[in-house]
Amino acid sequence: MCGVCGIVSYGGPPDLALLRRMMGRLAHRGPDGNGYYRDRRAALGHTRLAIIDTSGGAQPLCNEDGTVWVTFNGEIFNYVELGEELRNCGHSFRTASDTEVIVHAWEEWGKECFSRFNGQWAIALWDRRAERLVLSRDRLGVRPLFFARVSTGLLFASEVKSIFADPSVERAFDPVGLDQTLTYWSPVAPRTVFRGIEQLEPGHYAVLDRDGFRKAPYWRITFPERGREPMQDVRENVDALRERIIEATRLRFVRSDVPVGAYLSGGLDSSVTAAVIAHYTSVPLHTFSLRFSDGEFDEGQYQKKMSALLGTEHQDIMVNPSDIAAVFPEAVRHTETPILRAAPAPLFLLSKLVRENGYKVVVTGEGADEVLAGYDIFREARVRLFWSRDPESAKRARAAELLYPWMARSPGQVPAFARSFFGRHLDPGDPALSHRPRWDSTSVIKSMLSGGLRDRISRAETEDVVAAMPPGSEDWDPLSRGQWLEMTTLLAGYILASQGDRMLMANSVEGRFPFLDRDVVDFADALPARHKLFGLEEKYLLKRAFADLVPKEIIQRPKQPYRAPDAASFFAEDRPAWFDELMSKRAIAAAGVFEPSAVAGLMAKGRRTGGENMSNTDNMRVLAIVSTQLTYETFIAEGGSGELDQALPDPSVAVDLVTDDRSVQ
Amino acid sequence: MNPEIIEQAFRDYGALRRTDTDPELEAVRAAILLEDLLEVTLPDAGIDPAVLADASAVAALVARLWRGV
Repeated sequence: MCGVCGIVSYGGPPDLALLRRMMGRLAHRGPDGNGYYRDRRAALGHTRLAIIDTSGGAQPLCNEDGTVWVTFNGEIFNYVELGEELRNCGHSFRTASDTEVIVHAWEEWGKECFSRFNGQWAIALWDRRAERLVLSRDRLGVRPLFFARVSTGLLFASEVKSIFADPSVERAFDPVGLDQTLTYWSPVAPRTVFRGIEQLEPGHYAVLDRDGFRKAPYWRITFPERGREPMQDVRENVDALRERIIEATRLRFVRSDVPVGAYLSGGLDSSVTAAVIAHYTSVPLHTFSLRFSDGEFDEGQYQKKMSALLGTEHQDIMVNPSDIAAVFPEAVRHTETPILRAAPAPLFLLSKLVRENGYKVVVTGEGADEVLAGYDIFREARVRLFWSRDPESAKRARAAELLYPWMARSPGQVPAFARSFFGRHLDPGDPALSHRPRWDSTSVIKSMLSGGLRDRISRAETEDVVAAMPPGSEDWDPLSRGQWLEMTTLLAGYILASQGDRMLMANSVEGRFPFLDRDVVDFADALPARHKLFGLEEKYLLKRAFADLVPKEIIQRPKQPYRAPDAASFFAEDRPAWFDELMSKRAIAAAGVFEPSAVAGLMAKGRRTGGENMSNTDNMRVLAIVSTQLTYETFIAEGGSGELDQALPDPSVAVDLVTDDRSVQ
Repeated sequence: MNPEIIEQAFRDYGALRRTDTDPELEAVRAAILLEDLLEVTLPDAGIDPAVLADASAVAALVARLWRGV
């Protein structure tokens, strides 16, 4: 796992000093080394977290004759098998790294190489002869890749702060990116919250050459037509899923030249991955967990149970609300985007714990909820669909009580709540039936936007994610449509970014996600929906597949979404001094995103209640505002602290064809 | 849908059936599964513990629904 950056220049040679500044801002992603390549048209930079071939895999790296160069962030887990195939095609290798496989695969198969890769990546390839830059990002967006098309050329990087090393790049909020964040929880690629900064869509590659700039998908999220799924036998599918998850987990554990640890949340997904490692590899396992002083969020008893069962060396970190507030500005410096939950901040502390224990790779259960249908949003959608068939039926209305235990405990409150939340927009023909309640309840935050921003949003050309659903999706199972929306919005934009890559890489830790393995995802997408969500039983196939390795107590416990204290973290007596200043009328007006008087009202409510028992909407409002303000102060306001230039050690690769053409033979 | 698959699904559901919840609510849970599996809409009278409690009653109900009776 590393940081990548680069420049393609339409005029003179790229500025090497700028490239080095860009690399300096990615030092946290790659503390083990750095390198660069420059010719008269392009420059590639790399900061390295050495995991595979730690002695020989320095980057940028080139092919046999130095005509194709690559800078790469991520892992190609099937690099051993691909390397063998490429050797049989006549390619010779100088290293044992997965990076070199990319160069030869590009030479051999061109753009088809990306669909052969099973991994997580952000890649930039530079073909000197064709003067062609190729960017590529993994299927579901595990690794980030941003770029800016400017008048002088193109800049790209793993993080926006690296692109902002160029003072000529504009720093301003993008109204549509903000609007998307306050609807879908994050911008949807290619949008970001910064005007002029784009992110390459997951599953895509982009080309910049003499014919201009263009993008195309090499892979798409797709599902079979309902009723025409190829694999109908549930028992066969249980075995096939198990086999794929074991192989995906094993690959992620053994394809590393440094020790690999595992997260253990106490839920099903990380219990499965940890159990697979413990049972199917011979290496001792070190597990790491997050705990909360607030019992509402804590899953400590399940973590301990699983760790004891597997005999892992286990460590956890106890997080309280003031820890979250203290670390929040640093977390936002890494998310580089507003967030509607405080949940990323504890994950920052967890990856710090991992790093302090000498680990730089962890396997986690991320992706299972999207790929195998674990989220409540999918169960809610099924209830809504059921209810929508006869909205007046009192029996059907009771279905909402099956979703959450508190509803069954408080039957008197159910009808009013259920009708107001789950009963809205009950249109069975709506392709986004699953997501309307979430999007509606999130969009309420927009009532606090400033008049100026509302005007800019209304004038902008917005992008409708529902309209972008693929042709044929109307024939998918409704669950599949919900999965598509979830993978396209929240998974790539928030889960894998703000809660994933950014919080891990902030402490130089690589995350590996078996449930997002190519073969697991392709298999799961082709399953009948009922094998994933069986009635209202979530992750049905996964539970059956690993019933022998995970205790019943964990398999049967109601799904507990990962949450952390939100507003309460910022209104405690010991809140940090910066918070009041950041939320002051003056600061709110300077950022121009929210209406100062509305924020003042919310702040008064928060102070009155200490942030306790605030509504879900108010919690999101507080988080949206504080994180937007931090994003503004860090990246847009003059003198922002997000752009600290870090000095890098001497590079291990320094190829500059502009000053010395003999550097590469 | 293949009848064998439907039978298998009912057997699987039987293994998940909860006995500690309100029987009427459990009938709603069964109805959600049934409607999803068979792409039918049950009448309110069919969302009933007596109708959805055993496989033969469910089979009779489904047969009636498929015949449009």
